[in-house]
Amino acid sequence: MIARAERLNGRAVWTTLSSPRSIGILGIGLAIVGFWLALPPATLRTPPGPVALGILGAAAGIWAFARGERRIGGGAVVAGIVGVGLALALMQTQASNLEGTFVWSALIAATLRWATPLTFAALGGMFSERSGVVNIGLEGMMLMGAFFGAWGADKTGSWLGGVAIGLAGGAALAFIYAIFAIHLRADQIVGGTAVNFLALGITGYLYNDIYGNNGTPQNLPAVPDVHLGWLHSIPPHGLGNFLVNSFGSLNLMIWLSLALLPMSYFALFKTAIGLRVRSVGEHPRAADTVGISVYGTRYAAVTLSGALAALGGVFLSLGYVNAFTENMTAGRGFIALAALIFGGWRPFGAFAACLLFGFSSALAQRLPDLSASESAAWPVLFQALPYVLTLIAVAGIIGRSIPPAADGQPYQKQ
Amino acid sequence: MVDDERPVLELRGVTKHFPGVLANDHIDFDLRRGEVHALLGENGAGKSTLMNILYGLYHPDEGEIRIKGEPVRINSPKDAIARGIGMVHQHFMLIPVMTVAENIVLASEPTHAGVLLDYRAANRRVEHLAGTFNFAIDPQARVENIGVGQQQRVEILKALYRSADILILDEPTAVLTPQEAGELFEILGTLTREGLSVIFISHKLNEVLEIADRITVLRRGKKIGTVPHEGATEGGLARMMVGREVLLRVEKAAAAPGQPFLEVEDVHVLDDRGLEAVKGVTFDVRAGEIVGLAGVDGNGQSEVVEAVTGLRRTSAGRVRLGGHDVTGSSANRILDLGLGHIPEDRQRRGLVLNFSLAENLALHDFDKEPNSRFGWLFPRRIIHRARGLLKQFDVRGGGPQTLASALSGGNQQKVVLAREIARDPRVLIAAQPTRGLDVGAIEFVHQRLIEARDSGEAVLLVSLELEEILSLSDRILVIYEGRIVAEYPPDVTEEELGIAMTGGRGREAA
Repeated sequence: MIARAERLNGRAVWTTLSSPRSIGILGIGLAIVGFWLALPPATLRTPPGPVALGILGAAAGIWAFARGERRIGGGAVVAGIVGVGLALALMQTQASNLEGTFVWSALIAATLRWATPLTFAALGGMFSERSGVVNIGLEGMMLMGAFFGAWGADKTGSWLGGVAIGLAGGAALAFIYAIFAIHLRADQIVGGTAVNFLALGITGYLYNDIYGNNGTPQNLPAVPDVHLGWLHSIPPHGLGNFLVNSFGSLNLMIWLSLALLPMSYFALFKTAIGLRVRSVGEHPRAADTVGISVYGTRYAAVTLSGALAALGGVFLSLGYVNAFTENMTAGRGFIALAALIFGGWRPFGAFAACLLFGFSSALAQRLPDLSASESAAWPVLFQALPYVLTLIAVAGIIGRSIPPAADGQPYQKQ
Repeated sequence: MVDDERPVLELRGVTKHFPGVLANDHIDFDLRRGEVHALLGENGAGKSTLMNILYGLYHPDEGEIRIKGEPVRINSPKDAIARGIGMVHQHFMLIPVMTVAENIVLASEPTHAGVLLDYRAANRRVEHLAGTFNFAIDPQARVENIGVGQQQRVEILKALYRSADILILDEPTAVLTPQEAGELFEILGTLTREGLSVIFISHKLNEVLEIADRITVLRRGKKIGTVPHEGATEGGLARMMVGREVLLRVEKAAAAPGQPFLEVEDVHVLDDRGLEAVKGVTFDVRAGEIVGLAGVDGNGQSEVVEAVTGLRRTSAGRVRLGGHDVTGSSANRILDLGLGHIPEDRQRRGLVLNFSLAENLALHDFDKEPNSRFGWLFPRRIIHRARGLLKQFDVRGGGPQTLASALSGGNQQKVVLAREIARDPRVLIAAQPTRGLDVGAIEFVHQRLIEARDSGEAVLLVSLELEEILSLSDRILVIYEGRIVAEYPPDVTEEELGIAMTGGRGREAA
């Protein structure tokens, strides 16, 4: 401990900057810049620039790797190689194709649209896991939100009613899960999986029973978009145009998810209640011995988690597609869980991960336009992009993130 | 500092049954204002049960609790806290990733407008409280980054912050160095002068005699008696605890060291985080001697043991066992070459808790005659052999088919001892062999280690207990921050050892 203190005190800025870790991160940065140069608006059409930067990045990675920063160094090497490869591939396509695909403002809007359901669910998962309950049932809770949101909007004739009923549906499922996970001390992975199938069954049955072959009504009341036309008038003209295309007509629920980020952060890290929730997730017995109700806290956190995940589902059915289809969440709950872990069980970390997934999903949708290939298999392959990115990012760069100490462990009172 | 007024706390006839066990049998106990009252007893004597009743974690079947003369029911720790009872648990109830202040104010936090946590007020209050009782502590430090002694102070502050006037300390010195224990005793002195009353749970005779005003001894759930500090002796207390005469000092003949059986040469080892935990350690252990490796927990002794036993790779250096180079060899080969290992965590590494005692006793040699042939086990032979060993090592509480998890800690350790010593190793490594054991079991383990030495084995004893190191060792090495910083003959004083263990200047090589 003394040695550590000395290290901290005696550490000059320069040694920080020239540490293998910083050099490795610089390498990753160089590789990304190299790739970026091949994209619009720079749209470099000749190899030297990107290749040089990619090689430089990889070299920095090797240097860092040799000095013990294996993970980040390795990440830089991979980033360099992948970056050069992708840049060269982009140069093979026509510049006009490129410009059609990489419309940054449209990509940003699409990224946010893809990221929003993930963000809601990841925030929900955060509350649950911070209180010590692994919530693999996020997927099912989202699905409940999606169906009951649509059904509620249909029955009440108002999108607000839909949001409220969808939220209640997710919370109810979460409460059932909480009973199994907390009082009955069931295995949380098994319990969460069961919850996912339960939700699939409930929503599938009700959907078929109520809406049958016709599907949800065409005129479902949708959550409105927020139009920010005034962004257009921000000078200079190019910027205003860019802003209005990116943020000018986003759905209300996208803004809600963005507002929930700082709120969740404050709730968890700046309030007394947040401190108690985290203490229950780290060391439930310690929390118990100072008089905090471990079970009560966990019930509240898991139920809240279901409500938030359900909002992600509501966004899908009422904010985006404007219909419910069976199993429409399609694994987003699991991606949200990955984003949560990837983001270190922190709201902004998880959001960054959601954006990464959102961006790669948005890109995957547009990339098939790039190649002239007629093959139907191509678009499917591109859809794997988010997952490939996850693997590289999680294994290569981030490493192991540390969960709350009591995450997944049922608590038994003495 | 003992007042003769009415006791602040009285227990009358407290009784608690667990299935098959009478944990507390009509126990009377009283605590006066401003005194340290020690609760002494072997493991399983019922000390912790009694205190858990007092802290609201268990409910008594019979009996009465009075606080300041008033009968009370304590249903939960919350009730206990409200009645002014604070408890410092043996395993700290602290959250490592949170700060000192966060841990202390948890569940009664100062807030802005009832919602936002007022960190500044929290830090200020903790600082103020620490100042009142003369503690040096940084409220903003993370608990995982401070030492064990400091963590214990945080636990005490937690109780004081909740205005406790009765403080229960459960085995508080088990994790402390002698210096830290001394500081704790000073703190307890300050607290009792301020009018707090302390219940001090322990099974260590010397510290009870040092700190307590009165001593109550429990044995097998019954109260044996309460004696004042004046006139109490270690021998007398030990007899009350165990119910028979106990040999407190190990008697042994002078060592006759032979050739070096274990040679460790400039060994470097990395810990789990990839940091160098052992930074070039050289020593040998000769046939017929006990070498004690003393050090504060976490200074590399666990890694040294793991490196020697083949459980962890060395990053540099050589290990020789009876002349064979075993650097980088598998644990299996090292064991076959004549190494016995009593691991520091008997529940995780010493035993498979869900296996029977017979299976546990056959863990190393299950694949050799007579336990098996051509890969086919002979359970009856294994059980037969186990029966003999259990008798020879006086293991109580179960037969060969009993699960290891059903035994008490002392008996579990005897099983490990039986397995390792019965293999007749050339080198025996005993890491914390008496951790958590009571006087009777400690006596047994110590005698067996001496016997192993006298039969010509080379014994490496790693222990955090200075008394154990001093009474058993023929030579003492001190490890500090991954290096052997001093070597002493067995007549060194505890003070001198303690100083070397905390990085002070020690006498170089005796």
